[in-house]
Amino acid sequence: MRDTATQLHYLDAYRLEDHEYNGPAAESRPSGTCFAFDLDGTITTEELLPLIAAELNLETEMSLLTRLTMDGVIPFEDSFRLRFAILRAAGLERVQSIVSEVQLDPYIVEFIRENRSRCFVVTGNLDLWIAPLADKLGCEFFASTAVMQGGRIAGIHQVMRKSVPALKLKDRFERLVAVGDGFNDIPMFDVAEIGIAYQGVHTAPDALISVSNYVALDGKSLCRLLRTL
Amino acid sequence: MPTVKNAVIAAAGLGSRLGHGKPKCLVEIDGVSILSHLLSLLNDVEDVRVVIGFEERAVISEIKRIRPDVIAVRNPDFRSTTTLHSYAAGARYLKGDCLFMDGDILFEPDSFKRFVATCKPDRPRLAITKTKTKDAVFLDLEGDMVTRLRRGEPSEYEWANVAWLPVGFFEHLENTPVFEHLAQFMPIEAGILTSYEIDTETDLLQAQQNRHLFCLDTAATAGALAP
Repeated sequence: MRDTATQLHYLDAYRLEDHEYNGPAAESRPSGTCFAFDLDGTITTEELLPLIAAELNLETEMSLLTRLTMDGVIPFEDSFRLRFAILRAAGLERVQSIVSEVQLDPYIVEFIRENRSRCFVVTGNLDLWIAPLADKLGCEFFASTAVMQGGRIAGIHQVMRKSVPALKLKDRFERLVAVGDGFNDIPMFDVAEIGIAYQGVHTAPDALISVSNYVALDGKSLCRLLRTL
Repeated sequence: MPTVKNAVIAAAGLGSRLGHGKPKCLVEIDGVSILSHLLSLLNDVEDVRVVIGFEERAVISEIKRIRPDVIAVRNPDFRSTTTLHSYAAGARYLKGDCLFMDGDILFEPDSFKRFVATCKPDRPRLAITKTKTKDAVFLDLEGDMVTRLRRGEPSEYEWANVAWLPVGFFEHLENTPVFEHLAQFMPIEAGILTSYEIDTETDLLQAQQNRHLFCLDTAATAGALAP
């Protein structure tokens, strides 16, 4: 059994980006504009967790939980732990294989690839589950983090609070543009200079729209808007 | 390549004078919403933005139904600001010139398309139409230049609440009506078109009586074909 410190060190090899807030960099002044994207239902044209659940014949239960979470009925952290508990039975390799085949919005992918150094994915999803997408998109990810034990995911290390990486990005960039479709994107929108509620896949909740500057209804127009910002 | 690449439709207001309890852009004539009519006229314009406020969710749904590549721009202060602020919010971060229009107007399509086709870069223009109501924004004309927009004594033409302007015109704002804000940029070239603005029940009746002008079946078809 590893002690906690060793476990964390071991995780570093897997983790896409630890999202602890370390305060502003002492020397460099923030400059330029960066873009923070939600993953599920924004970059992906389907929610990932229901896809994984379908493998376990738990699709209905997962869809209901996902809907309730997106609408803010259940706090994201509680819901995520619950959804993780349901899905942990699926092996990591199988999950990654499902994730790697999920359909992505081609316009958003193109935008990210063109702007890799200033595009970031900020997702509540689990870092190890979504690792294949980090490879595909080639930009930095901030995600919820898992604890590994004996080559398996043993639990959740930290559930993403999106305001944390958003604040971190604002140490590096003068302006943050946030794009998302769910209730857990609100803390990121609160920090961002510009918030874009995305309805290409789902209907964004009223609470998210109420803190947004724009509502984009498909990937093409979203990216056209992003290029003007 | 068409000159007009950007258009902003201001559709945030309460429409209280009409009093239908919904945004005026959603008012229907022959089953076609004004918004649907406007978006069909802007089919060739790449970047169209609709500024939303009152009952925004309903307007978003209508945009999604008709033309999901249109961006909705929120004006959360719509109750306390004028259309000027909606124009500014809609054009923010854009560059060059933009076609600005209110979301409560019906146009005779050929006249609208002629106006759009004759817009040129760096040449501001105001669309004017034959005067139809007593409370419109009237204007003083010298040749084909509008020298003043004003209330009061009716003129032969009224401002159609459509303008082709540099987005830079909307950088420094006070809480004034659009026509007062534009005073500093006069004179501005005029272009004539045929339009009916819907502010009151009488305006709506007048538009309904002239429904044949608007080719609404085209908009209905465009809406029905949208994905």
